Order: sequence, then C-alpha cells, then structure tokens
Amino acid sequence: MRVGSPRARRQWSARLRGGIGAAAVTLLVVPAALAQDAADWLQRAAGAARQLNYVGTIVYQHGGRIETSRLYHVADSYGESEKLSNLDGPAREIVRNGEQVRCYYPDAKVIRVEPRSMHNAFPSLLPQQLATLATYYQFRKAEIARVAGLETQAYVFEPKDGARYGHKLWADIGTGLLLKARLLNERNEPVEQFAFSDIQIGVRLDREATKPPFATVPPDWQVRESAAADIAPKETGWVVRDMPPGFTKVVEGFRTLRGKAAQVAHIVYSDGLVAISVFVEPTPATPQPVGLSQQGGINVYSRQLDDYLVTVLGEAPGATVRQIAYSVGRRQ
Amino acid sequence: MVNFKAGFGAESSGPTAPTPEEISLLIDGELEPVRADAVVTSLCRAEGLATWVCYHVIGDAVRGVASRGLDSRRFIELFAAEPTVLAPPRRSPAPHAIALALAATVAAVSVVGWVALTTMPTPVAAIASARQAVGVRAADARPAVDNEYVLVHQEYSPTNAIQGIGPYLRAVAATEPDARR
Repeated sequence: MRVGSPRARRQWSARLRGGIGAAAVTLLVVPAALAQDAADWLQRAAGAARQLNYVGTIVYQHGGRIETSRLYHVADSYGESEKLSNLDGPAREIVRNGEQVRCYYPDAKVIRVEPRSMHNAFPSLLPQQLATLATYYQFRKAEIARVAGLETQAYVFEPKDGARYGHKLWADIGTGLLLKARLLNERNEPVEQFAFSDIQIGVRLDREATKPPFATVPPDWQVRESAAADIAPKETGWVVRDMPPGFTKVVEGFRTLRGKAAQVAHIVYSDGLVAISVFVEPTPATPQPVGLSQQGGINVYSRQLDDYLVTVLGEAPGATVRQIAYSVGRRQ
Repeated sequence: MVNFKAGFGAESSGPTAPTPEEISLLIDGELEPVRADAVVTSLCRAEGLATWVCYHVIGDAVRGVASRGLDSRRFIELFAAEPTVLAPPRRSPAPHAIALALAATVAAVSVVGWVALTTMPTPVAAIASARQAVGVRAADARPAVDNEYVLVHQEYSPTNAIQGIGPYLRAVAATEPDARR
C-alpha cells in the first residue's frame, strides 16, 4: 500500500507518463524506420530487376497449376529487353523491348502488341505511401534461405487487416534481385507463387538472347495492335464510396481497349504494395459473366450497375474486390 | 504359383465388393485411396447406389434437413442447372481428396442416370440432356476474366516492378488469343 502515499503515487504517475511517452515515441519511430527499411529493400529489388543481366527458369504456381518459363533479361546501353518463353503447354513467347511488349502465339499465328508503360512504383515511393505501408502491413525480415542455389533473405509483409493479401519475398543477398515471391491469403495459404528454379545473374548476354522469334512478321500471321496505351487523366464521373483504408487513388481516366467499342473508365488505387483497378464500361452487346473469378493471384468481381458493367480486380481477397464493386456509384 | 494366388486370392481375382461401411467412409472422405476405385465402381450398381443414397438420406435426417421423398425431376433440373466448378482448388488436394472429388462426380452423374432410368418417361433423352447440360456448363466456366483489363492493370501493380515481366504470365500463359478480336 505504499503506492497509496502521495509521493509514491507521484512517482508512479511519473514513471507511467515516461513509459507512455517512450511507447508513443517507439510507435512513431519504429514503423517509420521499418517502412524505410522495407522501401529501401523494395527499391533495391526493383533496381536489380531492371539493371542486371540474368537468365533463368521461372516456375509459376497458382491454384493447382504449375507453369514453367525461361526468362532472359538484358540491360545494356540501349536499355532493357527481355524474353519469356513458356516451356510447357502451347508455345507462348513474350518479348519486351523498352516499353513495348509483344506476345507471340504460334498455334494461332497471332502477335499481340502491348505498348505498355511499366509504371515502376517503388523507385518513387512517396513518404505518404511509406506511412501507409507501415500502417497496414507488418514488415519483418524472415529467414535466410536458399533459392535456385543462391542465398536469399526472406522478407514478409503481413497484412494488419483482412482487406489485403500477405506477401513473402525472397531476395538474392548478393544483388537484391527477387528470386521468389509468394502471395498469401487470409488463412496464410499460398495463392500464387513465382520462383526461379535456376538462375545466372550478371552473365554476359547479348541482345540475341531476347530476339523475337522472327524479324519480319510472316504473311500468314495476324498482328493485333493494342490501342493507345496510356490513360488520359480525367474525372470519369464514377466514385468508389467504400474503399478499404490505406488505398489511395493513383490515376483516373478513360481508356480505349481492344475489343471494346466504347471507352472504358479506369480508376487505379494502391496501398503501396498492390494495386486495385476499377473499370466501368457501358453494358457490352455480348452478355458478360458477373460475380467473382480468379486469375492467379488476381481476384476479379464484375457486376451490373444500371446500363454499365463494373469490374474490380487486383491482388486482393475476393471479399475486398467485391466490397469495392458494390460501392461504385455515380459522382453526385 | 498356386500358393501365391491363394495367398492373394481376394485381390488377384478382382476387387472385393465394397461394404456399406466403405461407402460411408467414402461419403465422409475417409476412405483409403486404394479402395476408392472399387467403391466408386460399385455405385454404378443399384445395390451400391441404394446404400449411397440411403446414407445421404440418413445424414440429411441427422442434420435435420431431410426432404420429403426424392423429387427426381426437380433433382435433375437442379443438377443440370448446377455449373461444374472448374476453378482450381485453393490448396493442393491430398490424393484421397482427388479420389473423393472424382467419386462425387461419377456418383452424381450415376444418380442422375439411375433416377432418370427408373422414373422418367423418356429416360435416355433425359440422361442425354442432363449430361449435355453438365458439359455445356463446363465449357462455359472458362475464366470469366477480361484479359484486356488484367493486362492494363499489370502496369500499375507495384509488385510488377520487382518481378519484371513475370506477372505477364498471368495474362498470357493462361489464355489463347481471342480469335474474335
């Protein structure tokens, strides 16, 4: 009962205040430091993926399926080029030169041209996004593990709420290159995984390695060009009223997409680690399936809203994309 | 040789007839995978099927969801309307789970066939239409994902930056180019 005396009470109260103060400082400082760690590390991985030469075999697992591909990545004075060929199933080849992606489908004799810009988000993580990362994910360094014969450091981004997936990433200790990535659902089960089963980093590779299958398109092949790649930022008249916390709008505008007569409204949100896209188009002539579907780690939810088809997709749980799809409405 | 055969007589002379217990185990997903084949085959015969249906009726009664008699027409309609789920399972199933899924599919088709044969006026046509319905739905159940959307979305996915071209696999490896476009 010494605590009962006024002096003891004062001492307690002072200690308590000190404690709370220290805790508050810890709460403020540690996540920021961790977020900085996470960002530094992500930026190193992104830089390595762009600036190094490497060749390896990627094993892509999703659901019960496994697909194996061969990847060549060349970075030279001309810039980046890469080629990905799948090793099982019907032959597919994807060649990227700078900002143009060409997909070759030999069985259908079709080339799809995707003039896509890769919006590299990590090299320019804003302080606000850093704070978001720390608020919605628990970042930690996990074990050191061998992947494709190399020593890697594993990192985990564990979601603090049910609105997003978890990520476990394995980076080569020597170069920072990401050798394995796993997406985890709310029950901590893998939803999707990319992993190199073998890789050579920093090897001499010339552009021959990433050459398309042929220099000129054979006459019996079809080339399907994608329409204007980039989005013209603009208000679309659509809003998401119930976005899960931490997702902020990255871009909003209209796009012209192959196979779609009308322009499509596209709004992108990101929490710093993943993106969620909202598409709204006038109801297409051919009926489209509605409800939830999945493609690898991407969940897709489509619904009819008056005369429009709303589609929400992203690397997030089905419940999240569904919730967003149901909160899309007209801007008042 | 004679001794050998005698010793393994039960197995070498074909699978042993499944017991009702085994059918029960199959329903509960606890059947030994090595027996799944024989037990599923037995469901194609009236006896085995009767046991299968009987256990389901008992199970339903125990769970308090018993129906008043099996309305075969309604069942066929419902079954035909049920889309076949082709989405891959979320976790890789154990071998016995695959056997069970297969068993369930075979059993479901068998039940339709059996009910139709015994109760429908034009059984053959009924079976054909029920099977066709299942087939058509299986074909319809291709991924309902719009690839243009997925491709456009990839650009903004921050994890793309560290995986390079890899995520293109999602959009490309999974699908054929759409011939209509």
